[in-house]
Amino acid sequence: MIGYAARRSLAAIPTLLLVAIAVFLLMRLIPGDPAQLMLGDAASAEEVQALRRSMGLEAPLPLQFLHWAGAALGGNLGRSITNGEPVLPLILSRFSVTAAIVLLAVALATLVAVPLGMLAAWKQNRATDLAVVAFATLMLSIPSFWLGLILLLVFGVKLGWLPVVGFVTFAEDPWAAAAYIVLPVATLVLIELGGMTRMARAATIDVLRLDYISHARAKGLSEFTVMRRHALPNAFAPTLTLIGLVLGNLLGGIAVIETVFTLPGLGRLLVEAIFQRDYPVVQGVMLFVAGIYVVVNLLVDLAYPIFDPRVTAE
Amino acid sequence: MKFFAVALATLLAAAPVAAQETLLRARLNSDIRSTDPGTNRDANTDAVVLHIVEGLVAYRENTSVGPLLAERIDIAPDGLSYTFTLRNGVRFHNGAMLTSADVKFAWDRYLRRETNWRCLPEFDGRGATKVTGIETPDPRTVVFRLERPSALFLANMARADCGGSGIWHRDSLNADGSWNTPIGTGPFRMGEWRRNQFVEVTRFPDYSARPGEVDGYTGNKTAYVDRVRWLVIPDASAAKAALLSGAIDINPDIANQDLEELRARPDIRLSATTTMGMMALLMQTRDPLLQDVRIRRAIALTLDYPELVRALSDGQSTYNPSVIPTASGAHGAVQQQGFSRNIEEARRLLRAAGYRGQTIRMLTTRRYNSLLEMATLTQAMAQEAGLNIEFEVLDWATQLDRYTRGDYQMMAFTYSARLDPSLSFEMVSGPKATQPRKAWDNAEALALLQESMQVTDPARRQALFDELHRRFIAEVPMIVLYNDANIAAHRTSMTGFRSWATGQPRFWGVRLQ
Repeated sequence: MIGYAARRSLAAIPTLLLVAIAVFLLMRLIPGDPAQLMLGDAASAEEVQALRRSMGLEAPLPLQFLHWAGAALGGNLGRSITNGEPVLPLILSRFSVTAAIVLLAVALATLVAVPLGMLAAWKQNRATDLAVVAFATLMLSIPSFWLGLILLLVFGVKLGWLPVVGFVTFAEDPWAAAAYIVLPVATLVLIELGGMTRMARAATIDVLRLDYISHARAKGLSEFTVMRRHALPNAFAPTLTLIGLVLGNLLGGIAVIETVFTLPGLGRLLVEAIFQRDYPVVQGVMLFVAGIYVVVNLLVDLAYPIFDPRVTAE
Repeated sequence: MKFFAVALATLLAAAPVAAQETLLRARLNSDIRSTDPGTNRDANTDAVVLHIVEGLVAYRENTSVGPLLAERIDIAPDGLSYTFTLRNGVRFHNGAMLTSADVKFAWDRYLRRETNWRCLPEFDGRGATKVTGIETPDPRTVVFRLERPSALFLANMARADCGGSGIWHRDSLNADGSWNTPIGTGPFRMGEWRRNQFVEVTRFPDYSARPGEVDGYTGNKTAYVDRVRWLVIPDASAAKAALLSGAIDINPDIANQDLEELRARPDIRLSATTTMGMMALLMQTRDPLLQDVRIRRAIALTLDYPELVRALSDGQSTYNPSVIPTASGAHGAVQQQGFSRNIEEARRLLRAAGYRGQTIRMLTTRRYNSLLEMATLTQAMAQEAGLNIEFEVLDWATQLDRYTRGDYQMMAFTYSARLDPSLSFEMVSGPKATQPRKAWDNAEALALLQESMQVTDPARRQALFDELHRRFIAEVPMIVLYNDANIAAHRTSMTGFRSWATGQPRFWGVRLQ
């Protein structure tokens, strides 16, 4: 398994290199100049050029890329050109906020969605199934910003139970931190619940049609045991793939949720950096996000054999 | 038992109650860029920094320039030297007294190219004038020597985007000369800055306030709240929810569409004012089609200005055809002379110019709602005269890039505030060959503008501004529509707040119940 993980990690290097080159080029190809944005409408061409020079943007593109990539190999992703902060610590601090919310939300969504999907499959075409499917479809259809704002208005403004804006880390004040992340986590759970529930339901329906399930029932096992011991392991594998994709997607930034709940997360950092044409931050975040996808996919692949003995890591 | 109860109650009543610390929470729509005045900045940065540092002069409420750290300003008859006498008893936040040496120290840094001070060109000879020397004959006197007289010397010095040319103590710098943190003389001192979350300033108890009332960035700047925390809330809806729930005390710039809802609430007060920012339609006079002044005039004649401005500003602004803002003292009857809708005349001009329905492309952005609406309404109104305008929606960075390169036919655009009329004309006028972003390229007008930057006689300056406006309307290089309104919404527990022409919030003179 270690050898497999090492091989997969090495295979990710070309992917990361391609991502780095593509992001670097794309950012330079889109119009907009960070120096111009910083100086605003009053700046002369001379002032803009002077600032570009001080930002290192006047050098030829290949030289800029080699300079950046060389430093990145040594773990230095440069400094933000809008506020001078070093990019890597900036990414890590923002990622910690995003990761805390995403991991909690995906774990909760999984804990709810898998039993719910299995229940719907078990009660296929009956009232329970219809209700679960309707709920999942509704959750799939609601935009996250709308749901977030509604939760904010109800629990923050109307009822006043939870804080509306701000963020506190768990290290500073665990209770306050928990209060601040309840609404974003709840929003993410509800949004992700739809897809996961439907996937769990579909996978369970497929599994329940197989002969070994009939055999288990014929042995006189209770329905609960059939579902838990025989249906769950096989039905969970496709859901695990979905969870991997969802995790990769969300850990790369939940910009909408972070904006609505004013969380200083990775997604907001990326969006703001794009608007500001903050090249080092965009490049750094995109490389980091690509790395997250690689790691999450690897972990999912390594976890597969646990649920499905037919699959081996080798 | 009863005795003990009475004694305890008496004791509690007599015990001194510690005064509750007051914390004012305000919204910032994006984080500040730095704390270094006038260098790495934007409007939010200026708003925060100008609570901490003060310059020798500052803008008054009526946008004239008045003394701030200076007690008196003496200008030599030839306009080549300015002598500032500093106020007595002004202290920095570290307790040190302000002296002329501190002024020179801060200014020497501003004037070094590597500082990247935004306003350096206005003081190193590339712009309005050149500071040839700063002398400190005694601890309370600073003399600035200029290469040539300039009517804009004090006005540039006071600009918010120049950080108000704020004077800070030398301990604001690190040992290597780089910027550390501002130690100014303002009513608040720098507190905690948690990036992308909040920036906080705390009341400076030894602040030396000027007498009188709050007056722009000068006047009496006594702070009454202990701390001000600007919370970074990018999303407008979240900011509204925060205001309604009491999580913030003020949103200094609400969206026009929220006006009616907030006005109806008993726990919210509004403070509205017309700012000096300008909303306009630019036309590229070098474009093969739009180089014909008849077509540009025809476009101007298709617009129903009162209706357009009412719709774009939700009734908060009025039509202003001049680049000089309505709030400026230089805005008079001449500046009100603009265009009014005349579809027949527009059609006649288009026929005379040989216009045959060619497409005119207008650039706009979603960054500012009013710019997108401006493009939509202009397109619809111009269509009535047979004009074929199509618009393209860009992100702000791209639009600013196209603006800078002059790469457009038409553009819905917003200019930031310029508080001096010469600066207002300067922002749109210049030779396109070297400054493609400039909308108006006319050598005679530029000569008049140059003169307005040098003469100090108010009557002569006004005559120059009037003449510039007449020529501007005759040539139609762009169509100025209105000056944007700034509407602040705050909770009724907050008193003493008033928005003003710069659109920037001020939290001195403000109390929290």
